[in-house]
Amino acid sequence: MTLYEKIKTIYSDLTDNDFRTVITLQNDSDGNGDYIKEWNHPTLAKPTQEQLDAIE
Amino acid sequence: MGTLKLNTTSGGSLSIQAADGASDNTLTLPAVTGGNIVTTADSGTITQGMIGSNVVGKGPAFHAYPSATTSASHSVWTKVPINTERFDTNSNFDTSTYRFTPTVAGYYSVTGMVSFGENIASVEAGLSVNGSIAYGGTANWSNNVNSMTTALIYFNGSTDYVELYAIQWSGVTKTIQNSASTVRFEAHLVRAA
Repeated sequence: MTLYEKIKTIYSDLTDNDFRTVITLQNDSDGNGDYIKEWNHPTLAKPTQEQLDAIE
Repeated sequence: MGTLKLNTTSGGSLSIQAADGASDNTLTLPAVTGGNIVTTADSGTITQGMIGSNVVGKGPAFHAYPSATTSASHSVWTKVPINTERFDTNSNFDTSTYRFTPTVAGYYSVTGMVSFGENIASVEAGLSVNGSIAYGGTANWSNNVNSMTTALIYFNGSTDYVELYAIQWSGVTKTIQNSASTVRFEAHLVRAA
C-alpha cells in the first residue's frame, strides 16, 4: 500500500485537490521511498508514523 | 619615451613595432574617456562594448537524461533520476544526486521534461529549487503523456541548486520513462550576476 493510500485510509474525506494544495507527498529517489513533505491541512492533523505503520 | 599622434580625423591605422631586443613594450594612449587597453595577455575586465557581434560567453551549460525508468506513486512528487549527461561544460551537474549546482552566479534558463509513455489522467513536471517545488509545468486534467517546465532562475554560484521532479494523478503507480528525447533536464547561463 502506498503512502497516499495509507493517508486516504486514515482520512477518507481527503480529496486529490487536498494533495495538490495543502498536502505534498514526495520521493527523492534516494531509496527512502515516499514521505510527507508538507502538511498544511487546516483541520486534519498530520498522521503519525505509528498511524501509518499500523496500516498494511 | 616617444610620442605619436594621428594627425587625421578620417581614420587610418597605426602600426608600432617593438624595438629590436626589447623585453618590455608599453603603448600609452590618451585617456579621453577612460577605459582599458586589452591585449592578448590581458586578464582584466572585458566590457560589453568590447564584445563583437555573434560572440557568446562560455558560461556553464548541461543537458542530461535518465538511463532507467522510475516508478512514481499516485500524487507523489518524484525526483527524476537524471544520471546520463550529453554535456556538462563546467561539471556542475551531479549524476548521483541528480542535482544542478552551478558554480558561476547568474541567471539560468532551466528546462525539464518528463514522460510517462501513456495517456493518464494528468502529469506534471516541476523544478525544485533548494529543496522546494518552485516552478510547475504544463498540465491539464484530461489525458496527457508529457509535461514540460521552464523557468529563468537566479543561482548564487555556490549553494543554490535545482532538481527535476514529476507527479501524476492516475490513481495507481506509473512509470517515468527514460527516453532521452522526452525525459530531459537542461540549463545554461543567460546572464551573469
